[in-house]
Amino acid sequence: MSGGHVKLESLTKRFDGVTAVDGISVEIQAGEFFSLLGPSGCGKTTTLRMVAGFEPPSGGKIMLDGTDVGNWAPHRRNVNTVFQSYALFPFLTVAENVAFGMKYRSVPKSEREGRVAEALAMVQLAGYEKRRPNQLSGGQQQRVALARALVLRPSVLLLDEPLGALDAKLRRALQVELAALQKEVGITFLYVTHDQEEALTMSDRLAVMHQGRIAQLGTPEEVYNEPADAYVADFLGVSNLMDARVERAGTGQGSCHLRMGDFTLQAQAGQLDATGEVKLAIRPERVHVRPHEAGGANCLPGMVERLVFLGSTTHVYVRLATGSALQALLRNDGGAVPYSQGTPVSVDLPADALRVLPDPGVSVEEIRDETLGDAPLDVTTAVPSSG
Amino acid sequence: MASVVGESATTSAPPGREELASRGRARGNPWRRPWLMEGFTWLYILWSIVPIAIAVLFSFNKGASQATWQGFSTKWYVGSGVTSVLHNPSLHHAVIQTLVLAVLTTVICVPIGVSFAIGIDRWRSRTSTGLNFVMIFSFVLPELLLAVALFLLVTQGLTFIKLGTPAEVAGLVVWNISWPAIIVRARLVSIGPTYEEAAADLGASRIGAIWRVLLPMLMPAIFASSVLVFASTVDDFVIVEQLSSTANTQPMSVLIYSNVHGGLSGPALNALATIMLVVSLFAALIGFVGYRWLTRGERRKGGTAEALTNIAGI
Repeated sequence: MSGGHVKLESLTKRFDGVTAVDGISVEIQAGEFFSLLGPSGCGKTTTLRMVAGFEPPSGGKIMLDGTDVGNWAPHRRNVNTVFQSYALFPFLTVAENVAFGMKYRSVPKSEREGRVAEALAMVQLAGYEKRRPNQLSGGQQQRVALARALVLRPSVLLLDEPLGALDAKLRRALQVELAALQKEVGITFLYVTHDQEEALTMSDRLAVMHQGRIAQLGTPEEVYNEPADAYVADFLGVSNLMDARVERAGTGQGSCHLRMGDFTLQAQAGQLDATGEVKLAIRPERVHVRPHEAGGANCLPGMVERLVFLGSTTHVYVRLATGSALQALLRNDGGAVPYSQGTPVSVDLPADALRVLPDPGVSVEEIRDETLGDAPLDVTTAVPSSG
Repeated sequence: MASVVGESATTSAPPGREELASRGRARGNPWRRPWLMEGFTWLYILWSIVPIAIAVLFSFNKGASQATWQGFSTKWYVGSGVTSVLHNPSLHHAVIQTLVLAVLTTVICVPIGVSFAIGIDRWRSRTSTGLNFVMIFSFVLPELLLAVALFLLVTQGLTFIKLGTPAEVAGLVVWNISWPAIIVRARLVSIGPTYEEAAADLGASRIGAIWRVLLPMLMPAIFASSVLVFASTVDDFVIVEQLSSTANTQPMSVLIYSNVHGGLSGPALNALATIMLVVSLFAALIGFVGYRWLTRGERRKGGTAEALTNIAGI
């Protein structure tokens, strides 16, 4: 279990002229829970497969504890993978599955049984040794896959959307368990997911990937609270994105003045020294919906378009007078929601919650499509936003 | 007035089952029994089974006629005269020769076919794409053409392959290699590369992954194709007819053919044909049961149909 330090240097992968991974560089500390987050097609799984050894890199290095293993066969690398489909061998029992790899790691036969039992106990499957994979539920199969990899005590464990095939409730329970297990064994986890909640709850650090590159790298708090660009802001949970134009950059004074349609706004977060066209982002939980008469700085008139009851909260969809659509989150704390469809309202966007982000040159709708994993093939040639 | 109200109430109530059925008959109920289709199916089954049943029946005839029933007897199988399969050397030789050919062909053909399939599916290159065609070779090539070509080859060219059992086996292997190749390849495609990747990830080399993971997972396909090769060898006529040499190397099919118009005829031939049929059916039965057993861990429900179609190589 020694080591576990991973360093990717300008790692690149091209498939028949299509660049899947575009020169990413990242350093993962030993014992870290690191996630690669992004929609399908962003290059995260390809990156993982290169680290595992299933795809040869087109360029760059994969340094594992100081050695470039980029061109090593998978069985020579001290990394193990938990596959999205689990890939448990159906003709072997649970115990035989878990013991599979020990033959190659020259574990003495006398030790094998004990280690299998230990690994199964770790994933809370003691007593399931004699079962076959098809007699287990999805969650149990996932645990066997985990035990099969962990029993070899790799320096890095690679997880390819391991919770993807499970239902939401089980997934949430396993997230907590998986994060706790990682702390217990102290092995470096490289975790690939498209689920932002998973990445935020479990990771020490995460990289948001976009078109084969790393859009932002940081702790979950950093990435969520201080998204580097409109793409990251939108991908990490629902974010309200609006087009705006800088009137007076906020260099040195902590406040940037912007124009949105006929209204002016102040923003105190993000890239305050930006000029020209920018995107504005604000989290729905920071948007305050007020009665129509309420005025003040950073208040914009709008109209309620739709209310969506979500249990603990209600989503209020507001169409602003500037034409932008906004979502606000109302906590359901007893009282009835005082709005209905068509109610004119005033929307308060607190300056400290309003974040200025550089303009990526595409419209808000295109960013949204892309974060849903449905990107047009070449976004750079897409029509720039008219706002 | 009250009765009128009552009437309108009954007509507006949801229609009963009978009413629906009669309405359906009038307008072409999509759930009615497909009489026409069923009728044709039974007609087809009769058409294909009745002649076989008659041939089998007359192998048990007491008399020497193949047309008039003269009472039940097993004398054409085990009777003491030279006319029974058991006591006529050429007849029981044919049975043995058929079984020898079937076993040898299966044992040689299946491993080659399995390697062929793994090679084509897992080793992607221009050559492997080209060889893909070779895989369906025997489905498009007329059997007679291959038989004559092989005859010329072993008599003019590769004369160290002697006519008789060696040439017959060689020909049957070539002709039947498509079965294991196609069935195993289909299974390879459905298995996908993930299990081998998992094995490699856990430390197995390329060969180790094939040996410890891929082959066990291919067992149902290997087994099914063995059964098909066996059964198809038992049935084969064209290739063995060309490549057999003396009467000793004639399997059942050739013997039946050469005796059916004259020569040794009579119910003994029916008996021989019945044995051939039973061997084929038995192989198919073993195949079906064995396939079910080998894939017992993979099925949820409705597995019988799946097993049958897999056995049939569809």
